Parts: sequence; structure tokens; C-alpha cells
Amino acid sequence: MHISTRSVLVTILVMAIANAPGQSQSHGSDENGSASRQKQEGERALRTREFLGLGRQPDVQLAGDGEKIYGPTCGFCHGTDARGAQGPDLLRSPVVLDDDHGELMGPVIQNGRPDKGMPAFSSLSEAQLRALAEFLHMQVELTANRGTYQVRNILTGNAKAGETYFKGEGKCYTCHSVTGDLAHIGSKLTPVDLQAVELYPEARSYDFGGRHPTRQVTVTLADGTKLSGSLKHLDDFYVSLEDDQGQYHSITITKGVKAVVDDKLAFHREMLAHYTDNQIHDLTAYLVTLK
Amino acid sequence: MKSPRFMFLSLLVLLHGASVAQLLDPHKLLEAEPTDTWPTYNGDYSGRRFSPLTQIQTSNVSGLALAWMYRARVPRPMRGITNPEIKSTPLMVKGVLYFTLPDHVFAVDARTGHELWHYEWFDQGGHLVGNRGVGMYGDWLYFMAPDGWCISLDAPTGKERWRKKVADEKMQYFTTMAPMVVGHHILIGVGGDAIDVPGYLEARDPETGELQWRWYTEPRKGDPGSETWPNQAAMEHGGGMTWLPGTYDKDLNLLYWGTGNPNPVMGSHGREGANLWTCAIVALNPDTGKLVWAFQGSPHDTHDWDNVETPVLFDATIDGKPRKLLAQAARNGYFFVLDRRNGNNILSKPFVPLNWSKGVDASGQPIPDQRKEPSVDGSYLTINWGGGTNWMPPSFSPRTGLFYVNATLGYSLVYLTDTSERPEGYGGFGQPLWSQHVLEAIDYRTGNVKWSHAYTTADGTQGGNSGPGILTTAANLLFTGDYNGNLIAFNATNGDILWHFPALHSLSNGPETYLLDGQQYLVAGAGDTLYVFCLVPRRP
Repeated sequence: MHISTRSVLVTILVMAIANAPGQSQSHGSDENGSASRQKQEGERALRTREFLGLGRQPDVQLAGDGEKIYGPTCGFCHGTDARGAQGPDLLRSPVVLDDDHGELMGPVIQNGRPDKGMPAFSSLSEAQLRALAEFLHMQVELTANRGTYQVRNILTGNAKAGETYFKGEGKCYTCHSVTGDLAHIGSKLTPVDLQAVELYPEARSYDFGGRHPTRQVTVTLADGTKLSGSLKHLDDFYVSLEDDQGQYHSITITKGVKAVVDDKLAFHREMLAHYTDNQIHDLTAYLVTLK
Repeated sequence: MKSPRFMFLSLLVLLHGASVAQLLDPHKLLEAEPTDTWPTYNGDYSGRRFSPLTQIQTSNVSGLALAWMYRARVPRPMRGITNPEIKSTPLMVKGVLYFTLPDHVFAVDARTGHELWHYEWFDQGGHLVGNRGVGMYGDWLYFMAPDGWCISLDAPTGKERWRKKVADEKMQYFTTMAPMVVGHHILIGVGGDAIDVPGYLEARDPETGELQWRWYTEPRKGDPGSETWPNQAAMEHGGGMTWLPGTYDKDLNLLYWGTGNPNPVMGSHGREGANLWTCAIVALNPDTGKLVWAFQGSPHDTHDWDNVETPVLFDATIDGKPRKLLAQAARNGYFFVLDRRNGNNILSKPFVPLNWSKGVDASGQPIPDQRKEPSVDGSYLTINWGGGTNWMPPSFSPRTGLFYVNATLGYSLVYLTDTSERPEGYGGFGQPLWSQHVLEAIDYRTGNVKWSHAYTTADGTQGGNSGPGILTTAANLLFTGDYNGNLIAFNATNGDILWHFPALHSLSNGPETYLLDGQQYLVAGAGDTLYVFCLVPRRP
């Protein structure tokens, strides 16, 4: 992992700490900005670490101090990311994973392991050892807590080819307009979200449930009576809806009862069977240009 | 208190002349399809979840009514879990149901739903994703705490007998499985994928908890299978977790177990090769832990598709010859049928559409398409991100000859985030696009889907990788649930719906059935509640 990425991840963790979990999330269209996204990612990181049972959360500032010591002191043998080089991978070391605040790592660093060729770093102060230990805890965190993972640059496609696909084979133009419903879509969504919703508009972000827009349903009863309204519930046995007057109807699905949901996404689902990786990447490259 | 029940049990023991008074004679576990008990996770060693009981039939199933409900209340919030789900299949032994939530074991009177005892564990870490239940030997229960402790409880009282550490939660192992009792062994598997650690399965002594053997999913340098890894370091990254109970053939004395995905999960550069014995079905000798044969369902997995789904055992005639078979609907979307004596492949066929594989090789093992491994810009899969199915128990009915699985159709993108030279941990993520849950009845002779039922839903998109298990009976019934909170009985031959019950939560375990006081009961766990049904609830 490169330093630049780590800095980004540290930012996420800072955001995680700054924003206590459980705060309500706004869903307004103006909330797609980077601040909101960072906040959501911070919450995601916290929730993931709680779910995984990752223990104490590393201190960002202290780990930052430790990073400055780690590079010149330890990086040569253990790798800049502590995943091992000449020396062993520290992310899976019991001395690191069983340690809490440097109580196990400190003595090993200070005394070295002469039998294994590790020199003693006896000149490091208690505070420096503590910071070094925290840096290693942060490295573990950034690996074990997948809620901290960051999407890389996914824009590998050809925007021109994407535009051709949009206006041709992809048939996107039959329902969408780059100056209408898709205007400024490249500013509203991040590339990775855009790549998901261009394929299926209701695709969720990968770990949290999305909102479901209301759908219209028409229920034909056995005697031919039709009821229409916004769909509340549908399974193999019941359908319920709210009609234009705000009246709630609940209907048992028996022989002769038919519920037809207004499905605007049928064409998207049909297309799912046909996309190639290149078409997808090209289309994303094109849509991000719609700033 | 419980005295009347215990007097009854004591009397029973005297009448039967048993030398030792114990609740579950380990020999009972060798019985095929027992009807008066549900003594192990899958009901018996075959993993079929098929019951010969016929009191509840296609003609009367619509008369099923609630006998009682039991809500498993936990005294404090569970870390990271908003709604606890019963994923365990309760054991029913001598009128008592034993089941679990992560950190909790419950004993409930099977006649009334009254709680007999509740055991709580205070974990020091580990994943609370689920707990599949307890194992039982004589009067003793075995329970896995999430932080790697195997705990033995005294079944009549719920008092702890001993605890043994089997996995280190600080190394990011976690433990969820129902320990499986075979002969004089308790078999325990482990889970984990946050940090790269090797998977293993171990056997312990039921009396003392002492370790008998441990089998590692990854070979040692020079061992068979090591040629499928680039080097020792890659093998030590490990993976191949053993988190779901296996099955057992007493005549062959072989234990069948599924292994999980290799590590790093999605960042696979650095572990080129098939990565044995991860993502495989392995046959082990339960007395020694020695590997007898293996079949790798997902060579070089890069999609987190653990191959742990139940290896279901049954005998059948193929091409005029009687065969001992093993069938599995794997998470990677393939349905496999093997000869369980030697692991030879008989059939490999996708049960959901998929594009990650270029077909199968001469041994019936899928050939992964490298272009569909996770990539920085996203690789497009024509299969659900969570796979074609997951851990939820399937069922095989010898009556219909059909293998039943709750499958998921879907599309997804898989991204690589860890592009470092030395990937570690998960290393990427999946983006689900659209998915649809479908109950499938698969003909084991052809792999063809004889009938299927797509569960109707409001939005056509249904998330989630967990889901309802399946039970079939000799009365041609199939019990399962949808993802909308309905418990459902299907006609196992043609998929007609015969009964349903709207529960407060979707079915979250494998349903079970048994006879108690001459009455056939159906038990289903949905969310934090057990629902128990019978035809005519007997209430004084």
C-alpha cells in the first residue's frame, strides 16, 4: 500500500471518529458531495470494525507519529506496509495482534531478536515505541477492516466509445437524455456509484440498503374490478396498495387475482445479460464527462 | 421445576435397562432418519434433511397451526447486530430443544416452549455473524463462542463443564459452527477472513475436550497439494475455513467437509495456482484426520465463494449400477455429484447462469476465467455477488429424487482495491446489481432444474446472502420460507404451494420435524423467534 493511499484511509478514520455512528443520514440530492460521502464511509468503517470484533480502535495521530519512525527504522526489513520483505510480515504476527498498547511489541523492538537477525533498537524512547506500536495497529486495521477500503481509479474506459455505445448498441438513448435526466450525472455521482447505477438504477451501495422508490401497481380482482395505486407490499400471497385517495387496500392473491407492477426497469434487466466489461467501462468513462 | 420430566426419563432408562443414564446415546447418531429426535445439525449424518414422517401430508398441511412460540430474548444488545437471527437448527432430544444465538444457548421444553435454562457467554471478540447450534454427546452439549472457545455444557442444567480455546480471535479467527459429534470425536471448524490465517478442522475428546487431531486446509511444503501454490509464504496466508458442519458415512468411515475460500480473498496476485485444499470438498478419516480424497469446486477462488455448502449423501442407481453419491449445490453456482467412495466426479453443471468459469476440466472441476477475477475498474459477473446460494441448508428427497436449494440469480461487479505487491485481507469488494431468489428442484441425474419457484417480491431486487433452509418429508412435502417473512409448504414433486404462515421475520434457519407424544411437529427459526407447528395443537 502506498503512502498516499494510507493518507486517504487515515482521513476516513478521522472522519469516522469525528462522526459518531448512528447519526441520521440525509438522503437529499445535495448530499452526494464528498463531505457526505466521507462521513458515510467513516460510519461504514466504524460499523465494520464493530461487526468484525476488531477490538480497540487505533489512534490516528499516534499512528501518524509512529509512521515517521517506522519508515527509516523498520521499513527496510519488514516492508513499508509492514507486510514483510527480508523480515516477516508483521500484520499476522501474534506479537502485534495480541498486543494492546505496545506492551508486547515494545520489549521486542527494544531488545531485538538476535537469534533471528533482528537488531535491538535500544535508543527508542517509551513514547516512540508506543507510537511505533500504534502505527502497526493501524496497518492491521487498514487490512482487517474492509470498511476502510477505498476504490481505486476505475476510469479505464474510452469515453468516445462509451458515447457511441450510449447512442447506439446500448440503446440508453431510447429512455435517457444526457441533457435531461442524466444532465450533470458525472458531478452527482462518484464513478463507482455511476458504474453501478448505469447498469441497474436501483443497485445498492455494496454494504448498506438503498431506498426503494414507490412503484405503481394495478390489481385486477376475480370479478374484473381494478384497483390502482402505489405499491406497499407484494409477495406470493398478498398485495397491498394505497390508492389516489390515500385509501389503503390489502388483497389476498387467490386464483383470478392479478397484480401487475409498473416496471420501468424491465429493459435494464434484459440488458444485464448482454454487457461486456469493455462496454461497461467505456460507458462509465463517457457518463463521468457529463459534469 | 423439571422433576416430572426427569422422573419420566429415569423410568425410561430403567425400563430400557440402559447401563448409563444419558440423554443422547451417541449410537442414536448412527440411525438413518430418526423420527423421535433431531440429534444433530442436519438431523442425521447424511445432510439430506429428509424425514420419513407422514402425519403431516399434502392433504392436511393446510391445517397446520401454531403449537407455541418462543422468543429468544438476549439481555443486552449484540455487538454489531441489530436483529439477532436464529441460524441454528435446534437439537430435539427427549423433549427438549437446544439452540443458539451468537454468545447464547437456550434449552426449551419442546412440549410447551417454556425456557429451562439460558447460558450466556461474554466474548472478547470474534464475529457475531451467526451461530449454527450445538452438538450433543450423552448428557453433554458443545457450543462455539464467537471468540474461539469450545464450551461444553451439562444438558440438564446448562452448567459449564469445561472450555477449550480452539482459535485465536486476535488472529481474526471466529467460530460459529455447530460442533459435530462422530464416534468419540467432537469435530470443530473455524472461520475468518479479515486477516490471512490458515483454516483447519480439529477433533476433540467429548469427555475432556483434549485435542485428538488437527487437519490444516493448506498443505505443508512438499506435501501433496503444495504444488498448487507458488511458495510457502502464499500457503501460510491460508484461508480455507471450515465453518459449516460436514456429513459422515459410517460404512466407509469417511467424514465429508467443505472448505472456504483462500486468502487474500480477492487480491489473488501472489497465490497463483489452484490453492488446494481451499474451496474443496474433502473426505477425511474421522479417527486420524488424514485426507482420503478431495474435489475442488472452486480452483483459485477470487470471489469469496466458500465451498462449505452441505455435502449431501445418498445412494442411487446410475446406469444400472448402485452408487454411493455425494451432491453439493456450491456457492459458485455449480451443482456437483461425486462418487463419495473416491471423489470421482459424475456431474458438474451450473444451477444458475454464470460467466466466471470457462467450463470444467477432465476431472469435472470448473476452470476459472482469469478475466472475471476482481479488477480495479470492476469485472462484470452474471451471477449474484454472494454466489448462487450460501450456507442455508439444502435438502434431498429420496422419494422424489430431487435436490432442493434456495438459489439466487443475479448480476454484480467485483472490484480489486489492494493492488500492492503483497495483498493481505479481503482486498476488494463486490457491488450487487440485481438479484432474485429462486427455489430450485434439481434432478441429480442430469443437473436439470425440474421445477423452480421465483419468490414474488415488490421490487424485483432482493439483497442478502443469507436465507432460508429446506426440509423435505416422505409425505411429499417441502418446507422452507421466502424473503418476505412467509414460512411455506410446497408440494415437493411439482412446486405447488400448499400452506404458508406469515411470521415476524423471514425464515433464518433450516426447518426440522420430529414426533413427540405421537404428534408430528414442525419447527422453524425466524429472526429471534422459534415457531412450532402441528396439526391439532393439544391444549388441556
